[in-house]
Amino acid sequence: MTRILGVLGLLAVLYAGLWLSSESGLSGRSLTSLANDQGRYGVVTLGAALVIITGGIDLSVGAVVGCAAVLFGTLTRDGLHPYPAALAVLLFGAGVGLANGLLVTRLKLQPFLVTLCGMFVFRGAARLVGTVVDQSQVTEAHPEFAGAMNALTYVLVGKDEKGALVFPAMFAWLLALAAAVGFFLHRTAYGRYWYAIGYNEQAARYAGVNVDRHRTVVYVVCSALAALGGLLLFLDSSTVQADSAGAGQELNAILGAVLGGCSLRGGEGTAVGMVLGAMVLPAIEKLVTFVGMGNRVIPVVIGLTLLIGTIVDELIRRRSRLRG
Amino acid sequence: MSRLSRALLPVALAAGLAAVPACNKPASGRIKVGVVTNCADPFWDLCEAGANKAAKDFDVDLQFRQPEALDVSRQTPIINSFVEQGVKGIAVSVINPKGQKKDLTRVAAEVPLLTMDNDADPDTGRLCYVGVDNKAAGRAVGRLVKRALPPEKGGVIAMFIGSDISANGGARIQGVLDELATPDANGADATRTFNGRDVKGKMYGRYFLVDGEAKTDGGPDKNPQQYPVTMLERLEGVPDVCLVGLYAYNPPAILSAVRANKLVGKVKIVGFDENPVTLKAITAGEIEGTVVQDPYNYGYKSVEILAAVARGDKSKLLTQPLPYQVVTKDGGPDQTADGLTIKFPKAADYAELVRGQFASIGKSAGE
Repeated sequence: MTRILGVLGLLAVLYAGLWLSSESGLSGRSLTSLANDQGRYGVVTLGAALVIITGGIDLSVGAVVGCAAVLFGTLTRDGLHPYPAALAVLLFGAGVGLANGLLVTRLKLQPFLVTLCGMFVFRGAARLVGTVVDQSQVTEAHPEFAGAMNALTYVLVGKDEKGALVFPAMFAWLLALAAAVGFFLHRTAYGRYWYAIGYNEQAARYAGVNVDRHRTVVYVVCSALAALGGLLLFLDSSTVQADSAGAGQELNAILGAVLGGCSLRGGEGTAVGMVLGAMVLPAIEKLVTFVGMGNRVIPVVIGLTLLIGTIVDELIRRRSRLRG
Repeated sequence: MSRLSRALLPVALAAGLAAVPACNKPASGRIKVGVVTNCADPFWDLCEAGANKAAKDFDVDLQFRQPEALDVSRQTPIINSFVEQGVKGIAVSVINPKGQKKDLTRVAAEVPLLTMDNDADPDTGRLCYVGVDNKAAGRAVGRLVKRALPPEKGGVIAMFIGSDISANGGARIQGVLDELATPDANGADATRTFNGRDVKGKMYGRYFLVDGEAKTDGGPDKNPQQYPVTMLERLEGVPDVCLVGLYAYNPPAILSAVRANKLVGKVKIVGFDENPVTLKAITAGEIEGTVVQDPYNYGYKSVEILAAVARGDKSKLLTQPLPYQVVTKDGGPDQTADGLTIKFPKAADYAELVRGQFASIGKSAGE
């Protein structure tokens, strides 16, 4: 509980800032759209956080988000029905995670390097698959897909056929997925294994935990969630571009996870913290727009937030050590 | 609450407050308008300077945002935030007119929307377009190419641009090619041998367009310099080469590559827009010339129109494109084309003007 107080305080300040910045800062419409953005960020953050809990890192998630978004657009534009295309995109994500996991566990390669290479590979793959895809290309090429695209968009993103946001579906999906992650992390043996692997991999091995298998599973989950993030990005945005879709998302996801209480050293983190951590960055982005802050200030604000999150993390860690 | 938590919360509060340096809950009755560009670039700093001036002149609050990348998914949330804030008008430089049509139609139904620099489909319900006729401006670029490499002899050209799906990108490219083309050589497939390797392309008049298309680089954040660098490597030793940069950051990127290869003067450069580096290089004779849009005026006009519309006055809506200008080292007399007066300022004079515009927003021209 102590670990999420910092991020809770930060969120409280950001929402207060929104309220102060504009008469409509905390309107239902504004909060709904913010929640939806937080949902999309959060889905990707959940996966990145799980990898971090097991002591790993995944720098490829942003590229996988972009590649999945372009892949879904291209598959549907080229004639694959949106439902199987969505499934194919999730399988693509799972496949990426399996490859990452096997490279890390079987070849004993550093997760940082494996996923950094993945970042280049999947960004390049996105460019190979298609440069720019948008929903109008899909519905123009296949008018019969319009109904399915609208249904997917409504269920996954919460937007109607005109593109108006009806309800924050992506936030609802985040909560549902976070509940599932929380159940696994906090109520099953799998969660205990994952914490144990992150806290002390060697000790976990001696305790009989199949470290390689669990690590691989976590990478699969992470990349599948990143692919889901890509699918959400395509359905939420009118256009996705191969060279920029999801760019930087890996760092945003890591930021969200760390702010939410995950330690980059592994072995720590909660599902609630992941959700709260993922809510920070979209709230900052919304706030800087409402305040009318220049674009150049935004990276500074993000950097300061990350720094403060790190300071909070370190102080709490020291406190725990003193108590222990 | 523990002592540590109490100590940490002020840190978090400080962070939040740092993010809110100037809470500007608008006073009731004050009109607020929003301008969003297609990416971040000095070109848009000039636009911001003009928009700021107009906001002062016409007594409105202005939010001016430059998305960090040439990417619809970065631009759309900003537009949505403007709508949520209840702004009374939005100006947007559209990135993908086709892909954004649905979103822009939804926004235009709710808030007065105009396009600048890059137009949208008029069916979106946008009020008007603030910008030059990009095809005509592209033809002006073509004339600069002809000046650098006379049409009787022709030459080898390569074009660089951020995007060819945007309305302005496609129109500029087409304008250049239309100007260079002749009835018998208008996009005909051709192959040339450079350094022992066959290179495919297309002929426009006597000009061979390498690869038969403009090279798109995705925006200023995508290392645009790599494209002219690679092109110069492919064209090593080839005479009569002209590289054309059609987005503001392209001419400086080309210039950098040409300088690095010690080809200044040998490889001709023709630009677009008024990047200070481009203007300085024209004065120095390193770049042939550039066609400028006057983004300061885009910002000024956009805010002026939005302010007027917010007050119920639609008389300011533009019915025809704004005139472009052609900047060269020595300048020239005004000309009239399509009912517009086209100016031909000297690069040094125009650079001085741009310097003043940058200074008005506390920035140096960064030459």
